[in-house]
Amino acid sequence: MRFLVTIASCLALGVVAISCTSRQGGSGDTASLDGAKIYRDQCVRCHGGKGEGVAGKHDETLHGEKSVEALARLITRTMPEDRDDKTRPEEARAVAEYLHGAFYSPAARARNNPAKVEFARLTNRQYRESVADLIAGFRTVRQAKQGGGLAAEYFSSEGMNKKKAKVLERTDRSVAFDFREGAPEKGITPDQFSIAWNGSLLVPQTGTYEFRVTTPNGARLYFNTDLAAGDNNTRDDSDAKRQASLIDLWVSSGGTVREGSAELFLLGGRSYPLRLDYFKFKEKTASVKLEWKQPHGVWQVIPADALSPERSSMTTVVATQFPADDSSVGYERGTSISKAWHEATTKAAVEVAGELISRLNLLTKTDSKSTNRAAALREFCTSFAERAFRRPLSPDLRTAIVDSHFADGVALETAVKRSLLLVLTSPRFLYPDTPGATDDHSIASRLALALWDSLPDQALREAAAKGEVRTAEQVRLHAARMVKDSRTRAKVGEFFHQWLRFDEAEALSKDRKAYPDFDGAVQADLRKSLEKFVDHVVWSDASDYRQLLQADYLFLNERLAKFYGVTGPKGDDFESVKFDPAQRAGIFTHPFLLAALSYHRSTSPIHRGVFLTRNVFGRFLKPPPMAIEFMDDRFDPSLTMREKVTELTSKPNCMGCHVTINPLGFSLEAYDAVGRFRTTDNKKPVNAVSEYTAVDGTKVKLSGPRDLADLAVNSVDARRGFVRQLFQQTAKQAPAAYGPDTLAQLDQTFASSGQNIRSLVVEVAVTSALHGKPIQVASKP
Amino acid sequence: MKATNRRAFLRQLGISAAALPLIAGLPGLNASSSAKPRQRMIFMFSPNGTVPNHYWPDEAGADYKFKRILAPLEPFRDRTLVIKGLCNKVRGDGDGHMRGMSCLLTGIELFPGNIQGGSDTPAGWASGPSIDQELKQFLQSQPETRTRFGSLELGVAVPNRADPWTRWTYAGPNQPVAPVSDPYQVFEKLYGQMQDRENLGSILDDLRTDLKTVAGKLGREDKALLDKHATFVREMETELRDTARQKLAKPAPVLPPGISADNDDMPRSAAMQMDLLVNAFANDMARIGSLQFTNSVGNARMRWLGIEEGHHGISHDPDLNEPSQEKLLKINVWFAQQLAMLAKKLAETPEPGGSGSMLDHTTIVWTNELGKGNSHTLDNIPFVLVGGGLGFKSGRSLQEKLTPHNRLWLAVAHAFGHRLKTFGSSKLCEAGPLGLS
Repeated sequence: MRFLVTIASCLALGVVAISCTSRQGGSGDTASLDGAKIYRDQCVRCHGGKGEGVAGKHDETLHGEKSVEALARLITRTMPEDRDDKTRPEEARAVAEYLHGAFYSPAARARNNPAKVEFARLTNRQYRESVADLIAGFRTVRQAKQGGGLAAEYFSSEGMNKKKAKVLERTDRSVAFDFREGAPEKGITPDQFSIAWNGSLLVPQTGTYEFRVTTPNGARLYFNTDLAAGDNNTRDDSDAKRQASLIDLWVSSGGTVREGSAELFLLGGRSYPLRLDYFKFKEKTASVKLEWKQPHGVWQVIPADALSPERSSMTTVVATQFPADDSSVGYERGTSISKAWHEATTKAAVEVAGELISRLNLLTKTDSKSTNRAAALREFCTSFAERAFRRPLSPDLRTAIVDSHFADGVALETAVKRSLLLVLTSPRFLYPDTPGATDDHSIASRLALALWDSLPDQALREAAAKGEVRTAEQVRLHAARMVKDSRTRAKVGEFFHQWLRFDEAEALSKDRKAYPDFDGAVQADLRKSLEKFVDHVVWSDASDYRQLLQADYLFLNERLAKFYGVTGPKGDDFESVKFDPAQRAGIFTHPFLLAALSYHRSTSPIHRGVFLTRNVFGRFLKPPPMAIEFMDDRFDPSLTMREKVTELTSKPNCMGCHVTINPLGFSLEAYDAVGRFRTTDNKKPVNAVSEYTAVDGTKVKLSGPRDLADLAVNSVDARRGFVRQLFQQTAKQAPAAYGPDTLAQLDQTFASSGQNIRSLVVEVAVTSALHGKPIQVASKP
Repeated sequence: MKATNRRAFLRQLGISAAALPLIAGLPGLNASSSAKPRQRMIFMFSPNGTVPNHYWPDEAGADYKFKRILAPLEPFRDRTLVIKGLCNKVRGDGDGHMRGMSCLLTGIELFPGNIQGGSDTPAGWASGPSIDQELKQFLQSQPETRTRFGSLELGVAVPNRADPWTRWTYAGPNQPVAPVSDPYQVFEKLYGQMQDRENLGSILDDLRTDLKTVAGKLGREDKALLDKHATFVREMETELRDTARQKLAKPAPVLPPGISADNDDMPRSAAMQMDLLVNAFANDMARIGSLQFTNSVGNARMRWLGIEEGHHGISHDPDLNEPSQEKLLKINVWFAQQLAMLAKKLAETPEPGGSGSMLDHTTIVWTNELGKGNSHTLDNIPFVLVGGGLGFKSGRSLQEKLTPHNRLWLAVAHAFGHRLKTFGSSKLCEAGPLGLS
């Protein structure tokens, strides 16, 4: 069959074609050869003076991470491409030495283009998080912490009185009941009764969630609203004020089972108040089910670990759509703006101001009849601006932002709205940081952005006002407190989503003939399983990076245990299941990743190899010079996948990169396209033995995933790659922007902390908050 | 139901217009260019029956006298049509209040359901559309009568719960339409974008100054980003100026601030809702409207009339309880005054792009879910029509004999050129549209 997936199969490791001809006599003495001169004489016409390339000749930039030796070997072997007599080794070495030091190596590039902290707007995530906290901060913030189910109250009803007598209080792990023609419990009238479920929904990750209520009876789902007097109504004909419900199925009509659904974008790391009111009145049967569909998930009854009996405060989630952030460098950053973005911020400002006006009485604890209304509203606008700008207002600024709008003849609400609009569209809110600023408020702001993608909380604001967010110790103390917040957990979760390519794995589905049982439920469980694994490692006491790579267990539920042919837990809940250490090693062998990095029917050693090269071993790969489609039907049908890939990438200019990619990918050939362990491929024994060449040229024999894991754990490059990626995603800047040694220092601190990921997050946040002032001591949160 | 996000879910409640573009492309901001005279209709509801002795004129024909309840309509006598003898003959599930409410504009049975009234069997929603929604869909189906919203469903102190007592308009079977009781929400729906644009326009000078100040603290490269930002702000200002040139036929009403949608502010919120409705009609944003005072079994406490007890409670008192009858009378007079106020607002507004006043092109029908509160009868339900939107012969009192009210809705549909054979329960339509021309 033919795969319509165009694969990035030929990734150039820096140098592809250096047309460098040198005919300078036969001396073998490298020292006497002037590499710069050779380059100038022979290479410049195609490669340009600084390796930038020449249009029409060679437009690849010459940069990469090969050693001088490796470069020299490559030049000797391939340059010039169009002639049989290649460059002599000593000439190649001289040129390689020159260009490596002048512009090719990462160090040379960093020297030529020193990184600096880039001025940036809020990313979309930072915008949404900031607005949510900005608004929530005006009321008591309550976040539910513990899952376990919803608080339930069961009542017998009598006619219109739905809560005639409370019979039972308990915690229900989830809402999926079929009472048939009977009562839920003894002592409840079977023909008419009502149940109220109360609590919160714990939302782990940001995204679009769908909700569904199914019942032949009456039900209303209230979600993420303030409580109103009538929400806890006793009589169903009561006129008491109540909130609008998200799903209203109160009236059963026509005697059928009905379902109501709604879709909401929610921010992860937060809990949302939820209440489900339900009643039966003389219908033949009674049942009720509350389900959700998580991002990338399938419909399922909302599980107990996502429901809490604690009630939380509401969270404002901006609904305005923003154009996607630039993530071309591997992390989302706000270093560019567009007209569409400006329009979105304006629209969002209108949305948020409108939302605030509609809750103004609640937020200011006044109403139109209050005598202190005008003063309270000005005070509110001032606080709003100060929190949004992350610093106190100067008297002049207060006049411009707040007071000038409260003019005669302007309605108070209009004045508030204009002030809020000005704050929300101001560069002081939208561009959170002035590079180089060293005041406490700037440091506090950077810290909150790094850990939460949001605004400083009250404790941090107050400390900044007192001048106590200045030294590394002070900042680290706050960071250690803040890292425990569920918002950090959500942000770190997003880093792992990006690191482990969760989002590229949209289409996990496989050929149904080849993998008939690999259905949507298994795929959703796999995603959950990897999330649980990462969560378990990162938030355990040790928070040990090495565990990510070496653990010999997976989190499985009954469905996954069955699919992967092991004895495991019963039911939907996940438990850790130990494997033969030779068979499973951390993320490398997690079936989610193995399946995501596979084709529809077969494995893809290239995808697996590229992922390992870039994300795990932290090596630099340029995009392929040309895209080559992997077409399965072009190969001899008796070949194994390994044989096909070897054949496909055998050309010298492919091997520049595939010499690294292929061995890594081949070491995982013992796992099929859905991540099951296998011993044969295409009826031949699997060969997972390969030889990996490190950056410095040393060769390592890999005979499977355990070797791969050990290699990664012992690789400084791999660890630094991890630190760099975590840094970029956290600070939205390159580590070198904070000094050339930042990465090395952070890595040192990380290594000496027992490779504690949480400590690393703290150190990264501290570094970015202090703009690279030297790190003094390591700490554990 | 399916709401796609919090905004969409609010929008389903008729609250927000945030999905529309902020700056450009306002649909139907200006009146449609149709040369044909406009026809409009408003359905007004009040609950708990009337006081028949003080409501119905004794006489039939053109020479009739208003009794106390309808007396506020005196200025519009020649444009008023009182129709006695119309009955809600829909039977089936639901108590009198429920059927009175949910069959009033639909003329069709309720589905069996789980909502239990004070008597009879429990019921669910109406099994067909209401006449206002039927007319809306008819008008929206033709380009020359299509408007931005088609219809507006407004309420006055309607409780925020959905059941057969609180809903009288239906887009179809099992599809109740929620009225909006908060005038500010209605304003937001009609003019929110305009208001937003005005507010945005008012802050642009400050924003430009702010951008300049902040940019002044930055290095050259970083400043470039804010310069680009300032360009976008300038472009937005130009666009705002261009859209500001679009003019409304009648400017948006100025609402007094701080009025609640609750019981005690009913007189004020009612007046605001009427202003908004008349204004929206003048700007041709809709041609059908409904104005629902409270709900079936509504229990308004009209303290502004010196009445502390709830309306529904009083309506159950026997005829011989004179103090209660007097209060009930006052309450119904107050509703008639609301009708007269609405008629007056229309009469005082010249028909945009047409002749006469807006009342000449609009018919208001005021009705009720019951004939009489203490008997819960669905016979002789109050129906009074004011205005010239339908071309009915007005200035008279009609006395029908136990006629299904479906026939009135048929006549209304025909007056709009919508020649339905039946509306609602077909067996109640056998005698055809009521002859009113």
